[in-house]
Amino acid sequence: MATGIIEARMEQHGQFPLLEVQQVTRRFSGLVAVNQVSFTVAQGDIFGLIGPNGAGKTTLFNVITGLIPPSSGQLIYQNQRITKLQPHRIAAKGIARTFQNLRLFGNLSVLENVAIARHTHRRSGLVQEILRTPRAIAEERQTHLKALELLAWVGLAEKAEQTARNLSYGDQRRLEIARALAVEPRLLLLDEPAAGMNPNEKAALSQLIRQLRDAFNLTIVLIEHHVPLVMGLCNQIAVLDFGQLIAIGQPEVVRQDPAVIAAYLGKE
Amino acid sequence: MQASFLFNHGHHSIFTAILNGLSIGSVYAIFALGYTLVFSILGIINFAHGAIFTLGAYFSYTLTGGAFGFNGLLANASLPIHLPFLFALVLGSILAGIASVIVERLAFRPLRKRGADPLLTLVSSLGAAVVIVNVIQYLVGSEIYTFPSDIYGRLPASINFGTVERPIAIRTVQIVIFSVSALIVSILTYFINFTRFGKALQAVSEDAITASLLGINTEKFITFTFFLSGFLAGLAGTLVGSSVSIAGPYFGIAFGLKGLGVIVLGGLGNIPGAVLGGLVIGLAEAFVPADYSGYKEAIAFALLFMMLLVRPQGLLGRSVIQKV
Repeated sequence: MATGIIEARMEQHGQFPLLEVQQVTRRFSGLVAVNQVSFTVAQGDIFGLIGPNGAGKTTLFNVITGLIPPSSGQLIYQNQRITKLQPHRIAAKGIARTFQNLRLFGNLSVLENVAIARHTHRRSGLVQEILRTPRAIAEERQTHLKALELLAWVGLAEKAEQTARNLSYGDQRRLEIARALAVEPRLLLLDEPAAGMNPNEKAALSQLIRQLRDAFNLTIVLIEHHVPLVMGLCNQIAVLDFGQLIAIGQPEVVRQDPAVIAAYLGKE
Repeated sequence: MQASFLFNHGHHSIFTAILNGLSIGSVYAIFALGYTLVFSILGIINFAHGAIFTLGAYFSYTLTGGAFGFNGLLANASLPIHLPFLFALVLGSILAGIASVIVERLAFRPLRKRGADPLLTLVSSLGAAVVIVNVIQYLVGSEIYTFPSDIYGRLPASINFGTVERPIAIRTVQIVIFSVSALIVSILTYFINFTRFGKALQAVSEDAITASLLGINTEKFITFTFFLSGFLAGLAGTLVGSSVSIAGPYFGIAFGLKGLGVIVLGGLGNIPGAVLGGLVIGLAEAFVPADYSGYKEAIAFALLFMMLLVRPQGLLGRSVIQKV
């Protein structure tokens, strides 16, 4: 009992480590895109990853999600090593992401984009699906409702039947978030979720990210260029520059770090 | 002058030509669907597809209890079983599907894992085709094999769609071919558009990386696609083999080229396009008069060429410019 209470308290304070990045390096034919980066993301964090263009932020996301293996280093998720796992296995463990340059299934409907991410949570077999057995139909309806629920969260329920490619830029970004949520992640990686949004949309997005974290018990790592948004939203910030981690800590600490000011914030 | 030299054989011959065209065209369609499925998921042409077609025909022939000639390693051998044709058709096609998966494992996957240019698999799949054809030749020789004439049991050899005075006889084989093909196309269309597996397949074909990040095992879908593609090739091979004959180990090569024509005509990677393209080429061939039947391929390809001048993206393909 006692440990349960302590654990709960640690979770509340963001102390329980969910993802540990240990000495991760990724080289691309001579170029070191990520260099010996280590940090820990605690459960419940909204963790900001910032840095100038080409600092290695997206590469780090690609390494965490298994799209590219690290040249060296380890990734620990929920105390398990996930370093060599394939992307779909990592997704199954509860890590989902969005993309900086949107990667929706443009030919499919908004609803189908979300429903597809439910694929691995469904049980009906091929024959059941083709014969449309009651079980397959029930599951289909369940998936449909779940997808609609997630679309409602991001404000897209009314556009469920539209073709994804016809959505506005901001809507496409929100659809990517709904689709990632359909994977039922514990860790959600958002790659520049506010890119291309106007100030009002950005404010609404900040709000939404916080609500989603609380409602779905998520831990969020986000890459973002818009400094005020990151400073206002994140409880931890890591700063990358030329592949190296130059600062990590709470926003007010990072903001005053001379190295950060020189590398990034100073240019504002 | 009559309306055209193509139509001077009377209206009931036109009816026959249409039915024959739909029949062979539907085989082109299911064969081309196999090409298109692999193309839509990997973005490449599987040149072993024609060889799998051949293999399927031989598998089914063997399963019906057909004996081999005296040239190959398996001279005069035959299976002790005599499966009814429809069972042999399904089982032979399943075996062709498995062969296709083996081709994927040997000729496609190793290159893909090493991040090789997808174009290189054109060469490795062509290599697989040559090996398959030569193994067939080594095992059973290069004679022509004909399915037993009684493969449809008690069904008559042909069915009269006309009157007693003016018969319009269509061979039962053609009707079986058309029915089987239509059934397969319907199931496949349903599968792709309305089942979760079909949806996932569409997702993998549109963006495999994103699909994998959503938890979809893309390799499993690639394997499944090759199985399906090989199954369709085996089905087409058996149907054509049963309609005419299995004209030796190179039987599928010319057919393979025609299948390429079909998917180019319909629009690369486009599923309804493959069906439409198959039917169009089948009908075009069926209207070539008997005197010129030796040139029907040339005529079909000439039509294809002219069409491509007008619509380079194929009948149902998206414009290339839009895609970029």
